[in-house]
Amino acid sequence: MIGFDRAGKRFGTLDAVKEFSMTIQDEEILGLLGPNGAGKTTLMLMMGTVYRPTSGKISVNGLDVVQHPNDVRKIIGIAFQDPRVDGILGAFDVLNWHLKMTTNLDKVEREDRVEKVLRAVDLWDARNKRTWLMSGGMRKKVEDCKVLAQRPKIAVFDEPTAFLDVPSRLLMWKMIRELRDEGSTVIVATNMMDEAERLSDRVAIVNLGKLVAIDTPEQLKGKTKGGEVLELTVGNGQEFPRECLTQFSEVQEVNQENNKVTVYLSGGRLLLPKIVETLTNRGVKIDSVHLKEVTLEDVFLNYTGHRLE
Amino acid sequence: MSSSTIQVTDSSDLSGQSTSRLVLQMARRDIATLFRTPWIIISRSLAFIIQLFVFAYLISGLVVKFPGFFPYYAVGSVVSVVASISFIIGYDIFEEAEEGLLDYLLTLPIPRREFIIGRALGGAIRAMIYTIPMFAIVAVLENFSNPLSLLAAVLDLFLLAFGVTGLSITVAVSVRSANRFDVVLALLELAVSRASTALYPLAFMPSYVAALAPFSPVTFAADSTRAALSGSSLDILGLAGLLAFVAIFLGLGATFYFRRLEGGVYA
Repeated sequence: MIGFDRAGKRFGTLDAVKEFSMTIQDEEILGLLGPNGAGKTTLMLMMGTVYRPTSGKISVNGLDVVQHPNDVRKIIGIAFQDPRVDGILGAFDVLNWHLKMTTNLDKVEREDRVEKVLRAVDLWDARNKRTWLMSGGMRKKVEDCKVLAQRPKIAVFDEPTAFLDVPSRLLMWKMIRELRDEGSTVIVATNMMDEAERLSDRVAIVNLGKLVAIDTPEQLKGKTKGGEVLELTVGNGQEFPRECLTQFSEVQEVNQENNKVTVYLSGGRLLLPKIVETLTNRGVKIDSVHLKEVTLEDVFLNYTGHRLE
Repeated sequence: MSSSTIQVTDSSDLSGQSTSRLVLQMARRDIATLFRTPWIIISRSLAFIIQLFVFAYLISGLVVKFPGFFPYYAVGSVVSVVASISFIIGYDIFEEAEEGLLDYLLTLPIPRREFIIGRALGGAIRAMIYTIPMFAIVAVLENFSNPLSLLAAVLDLFLLAFGVTGLSITVAVSVRSANRFDVVLALLELAVSRASTALYPLAFMPSYVAALAPFSPVTFAADSTRAALSGSSLDILGLAGLLAFVAIFLGLGATFYFRRLEGGVYA
């Protein structure tokens, strides 16, 4: 189990993470969802003992990250957002050295494991190609493979499928789930809604260094007012008459961001014609209308007031 | 890769992972990068040979006040090269910090102190490997064949390399701007190598250089190495100076490193 107890990290005058409290259960995949700069990477680097928290406490499997940093490092593996690999080395050497440092496997076991992982992600043939000559996607796979080969108790992936094509993304998700099924606790930081939704057992929404919400994707969506979302695009620069919509009892909340209006409501199918008629009568120019079920993106918008971009 | 074939690494799996083994692995990483570019060793060795057989021969013929300048210069050149190559680790670490590779290295299960020792050791061994062909050329040329003398000389060179890597790491973690770092390290390299007795004797130096030279670690190493190779008594002062240099700069490097890490400036 991993616990954040009012943890904070301050860089100069900037609070990258503030008063952050959260518990991550054993053998779950927790998605850390937030925009760039939300503090996800700082959270992970504090957990990985690279940064020392400036306030609060963080414990990993009962070990305080400040008091027992080296014991924490023995059970954790981090795959970074930008590949952190020696460019002059090939994928095989990168992974082999990583396993030398993080496991007690003998030479045969180690090389066997490296081969299995590289074959699984279709990098075996390119195993000796220097990583600085690889494409972004290949380098990203090598980075993810470090943790997939290490099989740590705590596995951390920072945007594991960035730069990957669709088949590779699906494969990576499968391999991450297998890691969880074998007993690892997995933390996946992402700013991709579908990744958080499809991969995570629970999702923690992080914004401006703070925990905004945490639950299963279904629960988060279920908690969102109304259960349906109506997205309207209105004429540019137009003052939106919010009260036209809030007069309907089915409408729970109305948010406007530039010319995009998001309405959280129930019974949208029946209400939609009335809403369009009311707004048209008030002279609002409607460019598009889209009624849908709540997604994690809506949840994020609902909690933070802005879209995840 | 199926779930039935690979087990999750339990923390107890690493209990047998000795710290010294991790230090050596850390050092091996730095050494491995050298062997990935063997042409650097070959080209620098060739440059050294040309410098020795063209420049040094020519100059030694012109230097009339100092008989035996050629062997003096030959040994000093090796010492200078050791110092110069040892400085490279600082560039490596600075670059790693800028590229974020350092964050990765810091997540590995090796205590910070051992991490720094491993890096300094790797940089020093790398410098030694790099310089051994040049040292061999000088040894053959000057007929240095006493194994003990050669061993003592190698020890002097290694201590110099170890200390300079510590100094280089200290600068790498103390200076934050890339341009300033390049200038500081280049000036430092110039100062310790040129204001030393590696390439010219103290008696012939201008007074402002002669005032600094006795304190240069390269002087300690050059004098001590020459004493060892000539078979004269052990240069205790030189050895002591080198040991102090190693201790001070490894200590300083570690202190600055910790301070910088704790401040989280690599964000």
